[in-house]
Amino acid sequence: MTARRRNSAALFEGLDIWAVMLYVALTMVGLMAIFSASWDSTSEAPLSFSHNYMKQAVWLGISWVVALFILLLDSSVWHKGAYFFYGAGILALLLTFIPGLGTEVNGARAWLDIGGFRLQPMELAKITIALATARIMSEYNFSINKVGDLFRVAAILLVPMGIAVLQNDTGSGLVLCSFLFMFYREGLNNWICVPILFVAALFILSFIFTPITLLFSLIAIFTLSAAMMMRGRWRICVTYVASLLLVSIIVFLLWGLISKGNASYYISLLATTLASVVVVVIYAIRENLRPLIIVVAIFFAAVMIPPSSDLAFSRLKHHQQQRIQTFLGIEEDPDADYNVNQAKIAIGSGGIFGKGYLQGSQVRYGLVPERHTDFIFCAIGEEFGFMGALVLLGLFGAFILRLMKMGDRQQESFGRVYCYAVASMLLFHVWVNIGMTMGVMPVMGIPLPLISYGGSSLLAYTIMIFIAFALDASTRKGLPTYSRL
Amino acid sequence: MNGYGDKFHWRVVAPRVVVLIIFGVLLLRAGYLQLFDNEYEGRAADNYLRYVRTYPPRGEVFDRNGEYLIQSKECYDLMAVWRDLPKEGLDTTLLCDITGLSPKRIRRALSEARQNSRQGSLIAKYLTVEDKLRMDELGISGFYTVPRTVRNYPRKIGGNLLGSLGEINERQLKNDDEGYYAMGDYIGVDGLELAYEKELRGEKGLLLRNIRTRNEDSDEILREPVAGKRLICTIDARLQAYAEELMEGKVGAVVAIEPATGEILALVSSPTFDPDDMVGRDRGNNYVRLLREPREPLYNRALYPKYTPPGSTFKLVNGLIGLQEGVLKPHYRYQCHKGYHYANGKKLGCHEHASPLNLDYAIATSCNAYFCEVFRNILENKRYDSAKDAYEVWREYVESFGFGRRLDIDLARESGGYLPDRAFYDKLYRRSWNALTVLSLSIGQGELGVTPLQLANLAATIANRGYYYIPHIVRSVEGQDSLDARFYRKNYTKVDTKHFETIVKGMWRAVNVDGTAQGAMLPGLDVCGKTGTVQNPKGDDHSTFISFAPRNNPKIAIAVYVEHGGFGASAAVPVASLLEEFYLTDTITRPWLVEYIKNKKIDYYNAYDRKKKK
Repeated sequence: MTARRRNSAALFEGLDIWAVMLYVALTMVGLMAIFSASWDSTSEAPLSFSHNYMKQAVWLGISWVVALFILLLDSSVWHKGAYFFYGAGILALLLTFIPGLGTEVNGARAWLDIGGFRLQPMELAKITIALATARIMSEYNFSINKVGDLFRVAAILLVPMGIAVLQNDTGSGLVLCSFLFMFYREGLNNWICVPILFVAALFILSFIFTPITLLFSLIAIFTLSAAMMMRGRWRICVTYVASLLLVSIIVFLLWGLISKGNASYYISLLATTLASVVVVVIYAIRENLRPLIIVVAIFFAAVMIPPSSDLAFSRLKHHQQQRIQTFLGIEEDPDADYNVNQAKIAIGSGGIFGKGYLQGSQVRYGLVPERHTDFIFCAIGEEFGFMGALVLLGLFGAFILRLMKMGDRQQESFGRVYCYAVASMLLFHVWVNIGMTMGVMPVMGIPLPLISYGGSSLLAYTIMIFIAFALDASTRKGLPTYSRL
Repeated sequence: MNGYGDKFHWRVVAPRVVVLIIFGVLLLRAGYLQLFDNEYEGRAADNYLRYVRTYPPRGEVFDRNGEYLIQSKECYDLMAVWRDLPKEGLDTTLLCDITGLSPKRIRRALSEARQNSRQGSLIAKYLTVEDKLRMDELGISGFYTVPRTVRNYPRKIGGNLLGSLGEINERQLKNDDEGYYAMGDYIGVDGLELAYEKELRGEKGLLLRNIRTRNEDSDEILREPVAGKRLICTIDARLQAYAEELMEGKVGAVVAIEPATGEILALVSSPTFDPDDMVGRDRGNNYVRLLREPREPLYNRALYPKYTPPGSTFKLVNGLIGLQEGVLKPHYRYQCHKGYHYANGKKLGCHEHASPLNLDYAIATSCNAYFCEVFRNILENKRYDSAKDAYEVWREYVESFGFGRRLDIDLARESGGYLPDRAFYDKLYRRSWNALTVLSLSIGQGELGVTPLQLANLAATIANRGYYYIPHIVRSVEGQDSLDARFYRKNYTKVDTKHFETIVKGMWRAVNVDGTAQGAMLPGLDVCGKTGTVQNPKGDDHSTFISFAPRNNPKIAIAVYVEHGGFGASAAVPVASLLEEFYLTDTITRPWLVEYIKNKKIDYYNAYDRKKKK
């Protein structure tokens, strides 16, 4: 008796109980939301396993059993087997190309069909990729800022990303971009991080704002930072902005006089801004202000990115445009606008406290597409309102911060990298998924982890998360998480 | 420990800041959508709730004896929402079978539904209850039915009188200030249906329906529909049917009025049509067919004609005016030698009869010359400065009998006929005219226009010895104690009531002793009447007859007008007489007369049938 009690106590010893509770809470919220999205009040057999919520409940049970099993394992096995698991993951991804095994769902050939049971290998591969990345980055003498090492890590990521693109499942591939977040934590050089972040931010902002707003914001931000950099040459900066506006208005008016109705203020301002760059560069050289030249260079690039990509895009043929849209994970579904609109109506109509559980008309009547998978957030937003959204976002936020904390208290960099990789991927999923239901992110076929319906996805995230928990528990118990090879 | 040694190193803190910013942005966005943007709540409701109008049954119409004139029958419109239709495997042949439409029309209706894919579009009208149940049983998603009512006429009489229902047109929709109607609603088109539209239509109900569940039990009823009111007509269905039967093959009109109340007992315009033809899917085709018929069955001859002169029946009016003006006494005798001879050998002809003659014989035998004298005496009365002034006085008398103006009956459309004024003749004769110029007015010819309704009203006025009630078609409206006050008011003419008995005497003599209308005599009923033979430059004379019976305490006043019917006695008198006999005694004692009048088909009508040849 005593021995067994000690054993069971040992099983949970060092386990971060807050993190486990957050995990359980999230899965329960998910089950509730799936129940709401798939409950059919006219069904004669509400407990039949043909219902999505019953299937998900079974998968949740399986997941918990698997989670216990992971806690029982010696956690050094993850370090030891990282490359082996990675290889197995890649193999599973490649299996989708075998005609009998791979199946297409929503246009993406990313699924394996094993005797009627469907599984998305990428879900499992993400774990193995995180493990392999952690393993390589925890090698002795590894430095993220060494070009050779960076390339090795990039190779580990690019192979599955390439396969995802070939599967026409770009959304899943893009998830791996979130590893940048972890790389920053591991000390990736600012000169690589900042431009990438900047381009990403511009890309996202161009979804939200009109080109002219974006251009004005860029001018304001860069002029401000230039002024700060030049230690208070405020006057010249104000003069610069004022003359920019004046000249652009004159250009606009002249253009309007020459060709009536065709004049566009955006293009006038853009042209004037680009021309002004030359003047600023000459000024910087004369005054010997080297940092200003760098700022101007970044400014030039930033201003050019949205219009030039637009221009290039518009020159392409229609099917090429579609391919690029598909590549970026922006669905070419003509109903996409309608779908996002319905999702926004669902969430927006929730109000503060929502319409009540099982009372949401948008979700109930199937007006929201993919209501139990990708658009599951609508069920919560509609039926529980802003309070529901607040609770769910709070749970996710706390959970991600907890995972980062786990990473920071690891003794070895293997566990830290792994925890941060998991946190990065979760952050990316939550951000893109919830963002797309509210119309601030493009629609990509990305589920909401632990919430969306899908057994293999739930199991994969559970495994991924519990490996992190196990590594954390071992560290706190003083056991090795690191195999001495 | 964390690779940096410093717990608050930028590389440790910054990722946490990024997480907080991302969640902050998502939360702000959710807050914006859920707390500040009010647009979505309404749009969510629009997505599944619809206001649905429910249609009440239209009021039914009964005759004065409680017989059905118009019944309302349940029927359904079949609607479809394109988006909800099954994408494939829609069995159009089955739809054709149920709706009775051709495959081509079904396809057209479906493609129209596709234009407006999220809303219900009309596929087929007039589904019977059985068709609707079949459709329900099939349970094809996207289809639903809307209950409507369809009219049905058990007696198949009174096509023009009762009117019909048609889909509302854009002009009517625009003029609908109450906002009662919607596109596709039915509205009374003519006759009773038009005149009593507000009473018959009832009030639509309103309910809030969840269109996503299509579960009618969950409808939230905001307003129950109120059934249309029942109407009891003044029409005697049997009399109306018999009159239509007798008028078959002839063009003309019959109007019968109960003098004591002004209630219209029968109102026939011939040729007529089966009112059931104006119902259902074939309405359009039938309407066009009737519209093209040369004898114009859609034209209500009892109410609308404007330029038909009254003929000799009008002599009664002139006689009454003469008596009132004091220029005629019952015992005045005038000569008549086959007509009235006036200036320069001009003559207004008359038939052969004893001469000289007094007033009641002049009425009985319809002497033209006598009434020329009367009319001259009225216009050349020394009391007035000129014949023109006297004419104005005369015109006021005539108008008081209900001529030259609308009687303001309860049917929507009614012609006032035509009664020329002084200015008209001033213009026509360049100010130089006198009694002789307009002499034909004395015998009801010339520039006069009357409707058969006005003639029947004249008969009722004389039957009442000097007053009339405005004729009306509806006796009572369900839930209303009384009709409009105007129908209970006695309208006196400008002729004193004491003079009427003299005229009645002449009318009695015309039928019962030695007059032109002896064919109308019915033993024991004391029928009074006056024939008219209206000269017609386009062909045979029109035959008219006005009459009432019995002489004392009259029960029925009647006017018959048969175009091209010849003498008054040859067509109009037998019709009126048979109707009076039928109405008063409920029997027909003269089968030979029935035979005669039914066989009297007027084959050729210049005015109408010429068109047919073309």
